[in-house]
Amino acid sequence: MDITEYIQLVFTDYTLRTITLGTAILGAVCGMLGSFAVLRKQSLLGDAISHAALPGIAIAFLITGAKDTNTLLVGALVSGLIGTFWIRGIITKTHLKSDTALGLILSLFFGFGMLLLTFIQKQPNANQAGLDKYLFGQAATLVESDVWLMAIVASICLIVLLFFWKEFKILLFDADYTKTLGFNTKTIDILITSFIVLAIVLGLQTVGVVLMSAMLLAPAAAARQWTNSLAKMVFLAAVFGAFSGVFGTAISASQNNLSTGPVIVLVAGVFVVFSFIFSPSRGLLFKQIRFIKNRRDLQLHKTLAFMHNIAETHEDISHPHAIRLLNNFQGYTKSTLQKLVDKNYVELNGNMWSLTKTGFKTAANLYTKQSIEDE
Amino acid sequence: MNSAQLEIQLIASLVAVACAIPGTFLVLRKMAMISDAISHSILPGIVVGFLITHDLNSPLLILLAALTGIITVVLVEYIQKTGLVKEDTAIGLVFPALFSIGVIMIAKNADDVHLDVDAVLLGELAFAPFDRLIIDGTDLGPKSLWIVGTILFITITLLFTFFKELKVSTFDKGLAASLGFSPAIIHYGLMSVSSVTTVGAFDAVGAILVVALMIAPAAAAYLLTKDLKKMLTLSIGFGIFSALLGYWVAHWLDASIAGSITTVLGIVFLIVYLFAPTKGIIAVLYREKQQRTEVSLLTFLLHLKNHDEISERHVKHLNEHINWQKVRSKTVLDLAQKNNMITIENNIVSLTEKGDEFTSKAIDYIITNEDAQIEDMKDDFFLFRG
Repeated sequence: MDITEYIQLVFTDYTLRTITLGTAILGAVCGMLGSFAVLRKQSLLGDAISHAALPGIAIAFLITGAKDTNTLLVGALVSGLIGTFWIRGIITKTHLKSDTALGLILSLFFGFGMLLLTFIQKQPNANQAGLDKYLFGQAATLVESDVWLMAIVASICLIVLLFFWKEFKILLFDADYTKTLGFNTKTIDILITSFIVLAIVLGLQTVGVVLMSAMLLAPAAAARQWTNSLAKMVFLAAVFGAFSGVFGTAISASQNNLSTGPVIVLVAGVFVVFSFIFSPSRGLLFKQIRFIKNRRDLQLHKTLAFMHNIAETHEDISHPHAIRLLNNFQGYTKSTLQKLVDKNYVELNGNMWSLTKTGFKTAANLYTKQSIEDE
Repeated sequence: MNSAQLEIQLIASLVAVACAIPGTFLVLRKMAMISDAISHSILPGIVVGFLITHDLNSPLLILLAALTGIITVVLVEYIQKTGLVKEDTAIGLVFPALFSIGVIMIAKNADDVHLDVDAVLLGELAFAPFDRLIIDGTDLGPKSLWIVGTILFITITLLFTFFKELKVSTFDKGLAASLGFSPAIIHYGLMSVSSVTTVGAFDAVGAILVVALMIAPAAAAYLLTKDLKKMLTLSIGFGIFSALLGYWVAHWLDASIAGSITTVLGIVFLIVYLFAPTKGIIAVLYREKQQRTEVSLLTFLLHLKNHDEISERHVKHLNEHINWQKVRSKTVLDLAQKNNMITIENNIVSLTEKGDEFTSKAIDYIITNEDAQIEDMKDDFFLFRG
């Protein structure tokens, strides 16, 4: 199956279209809200909440006895919120640290959820089959109404985000200042946290409890590398998230035996690795290049200083010397020497070099003051 | 109780102890989430090991999986060192990626691997007694009992040998380094022990319960004591108690043993969280309320000390002037009277000698922040206990 064929199939095939749309919207929402989670240093909150949602799903099923997606999601939302506020209670009221609180809630809620799930499985109610799809998610079970739900939640998120943009932004970067300005920080805080919980709960059906945190984090972490502006970061993260969803669905659809969730997470992971390496300002590659360039410049200066030392002993500063003299000198290469020539500090003549007047002057002042050209 | 039940309980208790020991240090070193990351990311290691050996209990598989655990730690630290993202983001990026690789590997080799992802995450303690270690035809007991027992033995040996080093490096890294213990070796040693424990325990109790058994008992113990040895003992105790009680709850409900042990752990933690004598939530809320009242009391006494005029010391005036609600002013007045700090005559409040002295001392303390002067007040007032 080649690409054009696949794209055609996306538009004609109902299942594929639904899944592609669903994962794209999910990726975008998670990217948007994930940016806040990452910047608020709550990266692992997503992991904890997604695990904490499990008992809610089980209890919702136990109460209603039906496998209606929306009821189960409400259950997940409630238990996710309880988990979140308990985490907050542990962190603020006791001396236990945030990592302990997260790990605690994550494992305890998940274990309790599993207890309920296994308990449900032993019940005579035949309806229970398929509840465990929430563990790892099954994008294939998405139907049009689910996609509509996602789209509605996504637009609500977007509207609230635009409406409270200023408040979210200021709380993110300077919580104390926000308080002094008279904003109700607690409400803003609860609002943004609730939205993060909502996004996580929405994703449970598609990518599952275990991998949900990566959906939240990866696009945001990738977007963070490209910009220092919050608005751009949120936008980029949404784009990355949506593309991870689309590509992940495409890859898993073109192969047998590939569940969508893990593939989406891996695609998002590729985005992250790419951003880590190739981002122009923060990326590892360019950082290394800058590092090497700086070292070269320094050594060029050292070479120049060495030349100056030699030239000083002669009456005529432009007296030619053999290039051999510079051998064994760190940082000396044909190309660096050429650089000095280009800057008109040195003249080359066959195997000999000589300092020019400007070169001598620059070298003399090299360590006393910064020359303007070097800045 | 038949022998299989006894064996299950024995395995569960051993796992609980084996997890509680590294767990205590993870909680103290603020690295609890690392155990969660390890428990997920060992999956690809387990799958590769299983593809090679076709035996869930082979030592090679445990080694490979433990190696993956250590790779996780190294990766997280590398990403963190680049400064591109914070530590928690690094953790959150690494383990889902590795876990996804594991899930995909299982899916791709579904014909070869009789390995269920559910089983990896949850384990099935109930089947543990059926997989027995048989050497020369003699039945030596369940395999997982031997695996967990070996891991526990190694952990305890390491704990006793390096207790001092662990303690110093946990509470004061700088001191440990200056004393010549390499923090890196201790760090990676602890990480290796955690990885091996996670792997060894996972097929008995599953990855999630391992995390719960590491963090929950230690967190509960941490709320009860500040002494490392007591904390270790307490968390081991909590672990064993939850393992045993959890088993019987599961037996009664006919549900997952791992899930039920975790639930019992959760209840234990909840009880400690609510009722721990000084760190519990009720104690904290009570203390905060008392401190609020005492701050009010101090304000009130200060007001009295500063004003000699009768008009300023009239009960009614105080109500208006300090702007407290009725209930609050009554609590404060009662507290002051109970401590003989004020007398009320004809609705005029005045300081007694004791109250006067108390106020000066308290103000002095607030200004100079020197502890010695208020030693005797600490017993009566929460405010000065820090």
